[in-house]
Amino acid sequence: MKFKLRHILTAACAAVAASACAAQGVPESRTLTLGAYTTPREAFREIHRDFKKLWRERHGEAIEIRESYLGSGAQSRAVVDGFPADVVVLSLEPDVERIVKAGLITHPWREAPQAGILTRSLVAFAVRAGNPKGIRDWADLARPDVEVLSPNPRTSGGAMWNILAAYGAAERGHVAGFPAGSEGGAAYLAALLKRVIAMDKGARESILTFEKGLGDVALSYENEIKVGAAQSLGYPYDLVLPASTILIENPVALVDKNIERHGNRALAEAYRDYLFSPAAQRVFAKWGFRPVNPEAQRETAKEFRDPPNLFTIAAFGGWAKAVPEFFGKGGLFMRLSEQERTVQK
Amino acid sequence: MAKSHPEHRQNPWVKYGLITAVAAYLLWLLGLPIFTLIRHTVEIGAGRIAEELWQSEVAHAFALTVLLSLGAVLFNGVFGTLVAYVMVRQRFRGRALINAILDLPFAVSPVVVGYMLILLFGKAGWLQGLAEWTGISWVFAWPGMLVATLFVTFPFVVREVMPVLEEVGTEQEEAARTLGAGGWKIFWRITLPGIRWGLLYGVSLTLARALGEFGAVLVVGAGVSGSTETATIYVYRAMEERMFGGAYAASLILIGFSFLLLLGMEWFKKRSNV
Amino acid sequence: MSTTASLPTLRSWDVKGWGLRAVALSYLAFLLLLPLAALVQDGFREGPGVFFANIFRPTAWAALKLTLWTSALMAAVNGVIGTLTAYVLVRYRFFGKSLLNAVVDLPFAIPTLVTGVMLVILYGPRDLLGGFFHQHFDWKILFAPPAIVLALLFVNYPIVVRSVQPVLEELDFAEEEAAATLGASSWRTFWRVVFPAIRPALLSGVLLSFARALGEFGSIVVVAGNLPLRSQTAAVYVWGEIESENRLGASAMSIVLLACSFTLVLFVDWLQRRKGRGRG
Repeated sequence: MKFKLRHILTAACAAVAASACAAQGVPESRTLTLGAYTTPREAFREIHRDFKKLWRERHGEAIEIRESYLGSGAQSRAVVDGFPADVVVLSLEPDVERIVKAGLITHPWREAPQAGILTRSLVAFAVRAGNPKGIRDWADLARPDVEVLSPNPRTSGGAMWNILAAYGAAERGHVAGFPAGSEGGAAYLAALLKRVIAMDKGARESILTFEKGLGDVALSYENEIKVGAAQSLGYPYDLVLPASTILIENPVALVDKNIERHGNRALAEAYRDYLFSPAAQRVFAKWGFRPVNPEAQRETAKEFRDPPNLFTIAAFGGWAKAVPEFFGKGGLFMRLSEQERTVQK
Repeated sequence: MAKSHPEHRQNPWVKYGLITAVAAYLLWLLGLPIFTLIRHTVEIGAGRIAEELWQSEVAHAFALTVLLSLGAVLFNGVFGTLVAYVMVRQRFRGRALINAILDLPFAVSPVVVGYMLILLFGKAGWLQGLAEWTGISWVFAWPGMLVATLFVTFPFVVREVMPVLEEVGTEQEEAARTLGAGGWKIFWRITLPGIRWGLLYGVSLTLARALGEFGAVLVVGAGVSGSTETATIYVYRAMEERMFGGAYAASLILIGFSFLLLLGMEWFKKRSNV
Repeated sequence: MSTTASLPTLRSWDVKGWGLRAVALSYLAFLLLLPLAALVQDGFREGPGVFFANIFRPTAWAALKLTLWTSALMAAVNGVIGTLTAYVLVRYRFFGKSLLNAVVDLPFAIPTLVTGVMLVILYGPRDLLGGFFHQHFDWKILFAPPAIVLALLFVNYPIVVRSVQPVLEELDFAEEEAAATLGASSWRTFWRVVFPAIRPALLSGVLLSFARALGEFGSIVVVAGNLPLRSQTAAVYVWGEIESENRLGASAMSIVLLACSFTLVLFVDWLQRRKGRGRG
């Protein structure tokens, strides 16, 4: 049998060349790269479809939007390490500030519309359908018969919001059995962390683990639980809002250095502005986010209930204070998680 | 199989007991998961699957996987054969050491492969200068992913071609040389046909590994949809976005590739033994 | 071996020979050695003290221990099942044998991530097998160490089979037959006659699958749950450390993993070469 290896090799070369050309695709100025945290994927899928259509109608050209979703902290570090995102949508302000410090964001991003905040949400509980364990508030999460899921604060922004919400609720005296004040806050946080049985990398991974049947309650973004409860193919679950929780604010920013390199500033700015438009904000609301656009807010007000004791990051003196106090080396969370380790040993 | 096996002396209870045990184990280990995957895919239904799969990013992901796999076949096919040739046909100091190093990729976790490349090409890496000078971005881009794929698939061609080269020997090559044939001609006419089945077997192993690579390309490329997302990374993302139809169907497509490769491998293996 | 052992070293004027060697070795150096050197340099950049501190951090140490024991358990089970499979494939003739023989390689060809996805579907608490175990025994398989062992069993299945099979094929069954006619039981025959012959190959296979299991990622990341201290393996730990910017921790663990498996691979290499020489 005569086997023409040479022909195969030639064909392989040709195929590689062809697919290399195919992979090149659209020029960079007509491409936008979004680096986001893990939960707004569904909303963005819809928003991108609409925005592409709008852009084609207005400018007569096709654009491409590339998306990457990672835990907020991980995404922010990836951008610092060279991931060429033009726009970042992150879970919390410090993750944007990290990119500012790296010199990649050069404009005062806080001066954008809505002070750079794209969406809002709350820290809430996902419980098994019908709430068989009767979980109503923070105190129930420290019960010995309850297993809790919360992601890892080292990679996930949602996890940091969770920790602050738990501590804040106890510190303000809203967790039964724990005294108000910083000691009560720390004691409750310690008790809660003992109940955490899985720490996934991001909020999305965490809620998916819950859907697969692990744990009795998952701490997460309100929007993440709403969307998940509607879409899950796994175990059904319900949303429980505790009486006291933190208001989550998710920032958006343009990454100037990458935009300069790609030459797509007009596109990036138009995209950012579109995200704040009533149309896009309505989509966010549809996927469980609390919109910041007043028009969309009015329309969807009845879908979002505010718990009686809502607090914000300002209660902790802002992120600049909260990050080192809780998540830095020797911060409260780090101390408690090391303690838990030694207890287990 | 020249040996006559003493079938008649075998205790049939032992024989069929063992066969049943192995078959049952394989059914449980391999059959049941694949069956379940098919069942769930069918349950989801063609409509939803088509809607989720029929996206330009998905096509891009599969195209990238094909590109990386072909790149691996091309580079490691050529250089793997070359390395095997040098290892078998030349004697030099340090050859034993290099022979050991050839197996290194078998021992490295895919995550570590990706991480090493980030260290090398990323910020403050040794080759960052090279990256800037060439203007090619390696990390978070397909060139880095190709290097990662090359790393993990490197040993296959070398390890399959080396024994065949040894077996073929140098006699025919020497004969051709005395007849005045040039080195290149000898390689094309004598050496390559001699090793072709071994080479093709190595190539199919390379393909199988490259098609299925996940950890290394994920860490280097970060899995950006429409850009550095491969077929396996798409499956991972689709699971996270609850697009189970897309995830399961893409998984089945990948398994289909595996089956085809397996058939090819069986065939090449038989050939290379002849 | 005999044809090549007598090869002369290259003469200084053999430009082509030197050229080929230079190209081959540069490719090796660039592809394999350079990244390795970068990793080792990074791991030790703050001295061995910091390196070891990073390994003995509770999360790192627990991940390493988990990886070691799950891999060891898998290797032991695969040693038994793999030998059994190889024995059945070589020793018996039966309907569907060639199919069985081909299917053995399947786990190697299936992407490990897809393996993970299949196991998640099968062993989830609401799914086919997972539901059964969950309801009747209250076992949690998924997102716990048993899932890690399962994934490893799947992914590494072919290794032992494929290293024992050729040795069994070369084995002279006359001896086994003789033992059987002398009235020895099948079990005794196996232990006395077959097992000693395949022992080196079995050891190679078991060690190799152990070495490969240490770094397994794609299948485990989906099924393991990745809870630090409880269900996070070393490779997944490295991934987490990369993303949370603990470069030193990632490098240190990577070096340990690499050193463990590479030593094993080298040892297996040595075993096989010794065996080869002994026979020749």
